[in-house]
Amino acid sequence: MSADLDGPPDASPASVADGVHRQLDPRVIQLERITSFIASACISGVLAMAVVITWLAADSAWIPRLFAIAWPAITGLLAWHSYAWPAISYRYESYRVDHLGIEIRRGVVWRRQITVPKSRVQHIDVSQGPVERRFGLGSLSIYTAGTDYAMVALRGVTHERALRIRDHLLPKEAQDAV
Amino acid sequence: MPSERRLHPASFLFAIAGQLRQFLLPGVVVIFTAGAASGGWEPWWMFAVIPVAVGALLRSLSYRYHLDETELVVRTGFVFRKERHIPYARIQNIEAIQNVAHRLLQVIEVRIETGAGKEDDATMRVVPVAAYQEIRECVLGSRPASALPAAEAGSPEPGGSTIFRLTGRELLLSGLIDNRSAVVIAAAFGVIWELGLFDRVFGLFFDDEVSGRRFVRQAVRQIFGGGVPSFQTLAFTVAGALILFAAVTVLSMAWSYIRLYGFLLRRAGDDLRVEYGLFTRISATIPLWRIQTLTIFEGPLHRLFGRAAVKVETAGADASEQGATGREPLAPIIRRQDLKTLLEHVLPDVDFARLEWEAVAPGAFWRELRRSAIAATVGSLLFGLMVTWLTLGLRIAPPWSGNKLTWWTLGLLVLLLALATVHARRYTASLGWATRDGAVLFRRGWLRQRITVARFSKMQIVALHRSPFDRRTGMARLRVDTAGAASEADRIDIPYLPADIASDLHRRLAAEASGTSFQW
Repeated sequence: MSADLDGPPDASPASVADGVHRQLDPRVIQLERITSFIASACISGVLAMAVVITWLAADSAWIPRLFAIAWPAITGLLAWHSYAWPAISYRYESYRVDHLGIEIRRGVVWRRQITVPKSRVQHIDVSQGPVERRFGLGSLSIYTAGTDYAMVALRGVTHERALRIRDHLLPKEAQDAV
Repeated sequence: MPSERRLHPASFLFAIAGQLRQFLLPGVVVIFTAGAASGGWEPWWMFAVIPVAVGALLRSLSYRYHLDETELVVRTGFVFRKERHIPYARIQNIEAIQNVAHRLLQVIEVRIETGAGKEDDATMRVVPVAAYQEIRECVLGSRPASALPAAEAGSPEPGGSTIFRLTGRELLLSGLIDNRSAVVIAAAFGVIWELGLFDRVFGLFFDDEVSGRRFVRQAVRQIFGGGVPSFQTLAFTVAGALILFAAVTVLSMAWSYIRLYGFLLRRAGDDLRVEYGLFTRISATIPLWRIQTLTIFEGPLHRLFGRAAVKVETAGADASEQGATGREPLAPIIRRQDLKTLLEHVLPDVDFARLEWEAVAPGAFWRELRRSAIAATVGSLLFGLMVTWLTLGLRIAPPWSGNKLTWWTLGLLVLLLALATVHARRYTASLGWATRDGAVLFRRGWLRQRITVARFSKMQIVALHRSPFDRRTGMARLRVDTAGAASEADRIDIPYLPADIASDLHRRLAAEASGTSFQW
């Protein structure tokens, strides 16, 4: 169902606020896997160094042995998580833009449904990291005056769509806030 | 008016003193701990204060401000110059602090807060009292706020309409109810204990057997050792606890009396003005429309005396700021009839008399019970472990036999579980929410009751949370985020809502928020 959701690029800017629950761009799964693999590799590398150091430094034999067993287990777990989790969390993440604002649903275990009214948006960042650029995806960071939700992020929409959502959420005419 | 102003010539004194004060406590610790050990290098570490003080001094000397038509311009720095423009329209509240030294020199420290962040956007340390009034009139000048002499301590009958004032009796009552200094005194007690002062003081009056630590050790041994404690030990323990409690209460009352002396809340135009303090006078101006949320708090003692406390959050206030309005309640203690007046001023649209509270889901009791039952179990296990550790640590021989300890722990568990049941019943019954007159209200707590009100126009984000437990029981948690929600306890965060009602409410509140435009 998600293949045609991001729509052809010829859709007019107004159509971004269609009030339909949309899933993220499916390419976000691949993107998340790559970033997650990089992070896991870093953690695993640090752990490997710790294992080597304890091996060299420890007096007793069983602590390094324990570590040597734990390391591949942890690395395997991280690798599995990096591979499987993005696909799982993709299933539970969606967003909906309408004339009132944007609603974001996410969370596999702890599910959240966050509504940002358009009238509360202070400013918006659209960013694109190096990996995101390869996939043509972008991230939206929506800032409000709130406390816990001072920033609400939406990752994994096409960059072009992120820009359109931004244009939709930001006030058209300059209005005096006070 | 649009000419550049400097701070008061005596400002450098306060700039340095402000830095010195931060070094005072570490300094005292250093001197105390290094005192006994051979004349080490530690006291020299104190000289680190000098560069910091010089920095503060330069900043104070370079400080220039300028009251423009629409904005406040602050310039600081000799080498690295900084110019800060603060539009009056963005200023959340103005606060002035005047301690004894300030009053001797007839100056005042002014803090100007916008919603921007942690640091005060402009702290003027210090300006002449007349300048403070000028600043306030400029900042809030678009409205006829009138020239009220607010800063002078003890001006007999200031203008504006008084909402309420606290008499000496109320102040003492506030100290009794709050007993906030208990924490401070407990900490002081711990420090004194560590320094071994008790041993010395007790040693003067009693023989060695009852002195300080040894006395406590003996008491513990007698209680946990299973024997009957001697009359002397029992009497000392009870008397000591009573004296400590009385001392804490008296100190708390005295502290409250000094801190909140002459508390006066009044309304001038569309602003609330608060003034209080015996030695350090604080006066704050809070524009009414800047108030984000209001919380009415009632503890058990509040209800006993027919009082309440009222707190408001503004976007400018920061929880970590010493003496800021964010820390001090709008009304530390207030009578029922005054509460009504205050609410009429702050939330004129909301009709509290006709509120109808909606209850949470019926299954909430079981979920709360499970939570508190887990806490009870963990608590009694910890008790068991602690007693074991204590008896081993104090080398009490013979320690409690394992069997006896098990029974004690089980007994405690039963007691705590009974308490947990009562708590779950009362707590879930106390939970309630309402939407009325353009505001959302949330009520919770049975011993410590809180009612928090947020107007629709102040809601930022509405979020629906569903934990695995929520999903299993068909419930949800609704959170309303507002600006400047510094205190975790004063947020609108409604748990155990039936899922359909929660999602309905979520949609409604989101629509209401969209329908109003936010003004800081």
